[in-house]
Amino acid sequence: MLVLLHKNAGAAVGNQVRNIAKRLLTTTAAGSTTTTTTKTAPATEHYDIIIGGGGLVGTTLAAALAKNTTLADKKVLLLEGAPPFKGFNSSGPYQNRVSAINRNSVELFKSIDAWAHIEAARYKPVKQMQVWESNSNALIQFQHDNFASDVACIIENDLILDAVYARVRDSADNVKVLNKARIECVSLPGATGAPHSHVQLQDGRSFTCELLIGADGANSVVRKQMGVDVFSFNYERMGLVATLDLNMEEDSDNSVAWQRFLPTGPVALLPLTSKQSSLVWSTTVPHAKQLLAMESAQFVDALNEAFCREYPRIDVADKALQALNSFFGNSGSQHQRQYPPRVCGVQDGSRATFPLGFLHASSYVCNGAALVGDAAHRVHPLAGQGVNLGFSDVRILVETLATGAYAGFKLGDTQHLIKYERKCLAKNVPIMVGVHGLHTLYSTEFSPVVLLRSLGLQLTQNLPPIKNIFMKSAMG
Amino acid sequence: MLRNLTLLKPSNRLGQSLFGALTRHSSLDATSTGGFKQQTAETVREVKHHDGLAADWWNKTGQMAALHAMNEIRVPLIRDGIVARGNVKAHYINTTKVLSGQRILDVGCGAGLLTEQLARLGAHVTGIDLGEELIKAARVHLANCSPELSDRVEYKMEPIDQHAKGNCECYDVLILSEVLEHVDDKVALLSSCVQTLKPGGSIFITTMNKTLPMWLGGVVLGEYVLNIAPKGTHHWDKMIGPLDVQRILDTMNCQTVLVNGSTYDFWRNTWRWINSTQLCYALQAVKQMPTESS
Repeated sequence: MLVLLHKNAGAAVGNQVRNIAKRLLTTTAAGSTTTTTTKTAPATEHYDIIIGGGGLVGTTLAAALAKNTTLADKKVLLLEGAPPFKGFNSSGPYQNRVSAINRNSVELFKSIDAWAHIEAARYKPVKQMQVWESNSNALIQFQHDNFASDVACIIENDLILDAVYARVRDSADNVKVLNKARIECVSLPGATGAPHSHVQLQDGRSFTCELLIGADGANSVVRKQMGVDVFSFNYERMGLVATLDLNMEEDSDNSVAWQRFLPTGPVALLPLTSKQSSLVWSTTVPHAKQLLAMESAQFVDALNEAFCREYPRIDVADKALQALNSFFGNSGSQHQRQYPPRVCGVQDGSRATFPLGFLHASSYVCNGAALVGDAAHRVHPLAGQGVNLGFSDVRILVETLATGAYAGFKLGDTQHLIKYERKCLAKNVPIMVGVHGLHTLYSTEFSPVVLLRSLGLQLTQNLPPIKNIFMKSAMG
Repeated sequence: MLRNLTLLKPSNRLGQSLFGALTRHSSLDATSTGGFKQQTAETVREVKHHDGLAADWWNKTGQMAALHAMNEIRVPLIRDGIVARGNVKAHYINTTKVLSGQRILDVGCGAGLLTEQLARLGAHVTGIDLGEELIKAARVHLANCSPELSDRVEYKMEPIDQHAKGNCECYDVLILSEVLEHVDDKVALLSSCVQTLKPGGSIFITTMNKTLPMWLGGVVLGEYVLNIAPKGTHHWDKMIGPLDVQRILDTMNCQTVLVNGSTYDFWRNTWRWINSTQLCYALQAVKQMPTESS
């Protein structure tokens, strides 16, 4: 036994020596060749499509491109500044960043086979949405007839990312993901007359492509290079998110999303489980900082107060609403009103704030480049539309690229890309104007405005055809 | 009438395009005799007119914007027309290799707008045109902007009748897009075209109808008011209706299988199919097998 070991060890040592000698020889040879090649030409790799930004929208786009039959032969590179995605633990505590995903986005996930992954993990369907305000009794509720289908699904952002990354990894041989890849600069064919778009990373690597897609968020580098006009402003508000524990009755299933407009901004509860909800609270910057710094108990009190506190009423508005409701045969909105569940705790470390802004790019495309998601548009979170608009961009862009490629257009040809822009603008602009309008409408306590908005809201609530129009556009 | 007018104008950019169409009077040298000479001169004028636009041909927002935009409808029409004949392998359908193996002749290819785009779907395309500058521009664009297509695209400056001599029955598809309205002798042009086509192959024609709405909209409004096309590009007496084209093709044993009307929305630079062929139209005809001929 010992002898055997000894023998083996001897052989191993011999092998090792030989290996080392071999490696020494080869490294010197290889070393010299690599240095010469790097000196002569810093290799520029060519891809058909490069996606700048591996967030929710960028990664979903990569998965959707890989899934499309017509585009299946295109080489796609996804550039992401962050280190590789750590993955998602569906039995861990709930994350504080969640999205209200509408039906169209769910359809997109189904079409790229990512929905099964989400379903197998966890998500919460919302059956009803109640929106009400602080200065009058006006109230509106959204639901499908007899709660037949969901109004939206609340899904954690990391879970969506996990699902689409899995699609990119499993099914997409033609999609390459590059992490820790920060874009240093880009150049587009329009400006240089070159046939391709060019991307230079901060670590010196460079790539060329037919089409560069900017999915790199509100401060998009790609958009800056495209030279499009951008209309943007800051709401001077912060959004505060947190994961909350609720004091629910045993039999309740917590499937209502609640949103109340306060003079400082809307506060919303999005259900996660029967006992937990996610909070999105838009408020003034000092107030948000204050809320972030509070003790847990104090924060919970402030939150419960925000949902229940009686603000000074505008009498005219209340009387007008009563008249309106009796006209429609309702005995007043009070009997319809439900109150949200009482919050009894906040998860440690789940509170976070982010700035709120509005942004819209005047154009989404140019020769050799296109914008999707927040790089092209950013809205107030009050209607939960931001990421859904991004997913709708993804769907329209993939469709447009596929019909274009099947008609022999170059991927970056504005002649065809412009169709993507036209379709997106027709869809996005009304929603963005609507969401911004709601924000403006509800950030005042001026009585005539309160009167009008209350009447408008109540009329919408009482006239199902009008309500359905709003529901349709919000749900895609 | 209009043509005389433009000819009289000294400022008229005499050249317009060209289109390989020239048939019997293939010689560009205008020293022949009689009526012959006149037609040749007209051909030279057309060729020069279009040749003068060569530099701007690939500019998507320039004078050729409408022609660029037309690719949006004419490429799918040609692609689906070829697929519908059953000549495309099932696994190529819905991929960017859909036209793999198809040999296409693009007559009057200009600077190659349509030529390159068809080649990008996998087809081998030969583009012929009479404009020297156009063929030069086409070759330059191919080399600079689409080098990946260079082994599938070939440009030649030669008239169709000459090309037909050496390429009898060797193409699967023949394209005559926005050419017919620039040619006097349509019968000669079409007969040379059909000669190059394999039996069972398709000929695709897009052109403008000879109707009053087309003349008012396309020539008067389009060239003289809105400047969609350069002045002097189109002429009433060279326009031809779909039935006449169909009749000519019938005599050449080609059966028309499709006629689609189209129109152009100048305010958004977009072409679309319509139910009427009163304005522009696209036509597909299939060359019959010799056995079927009567």
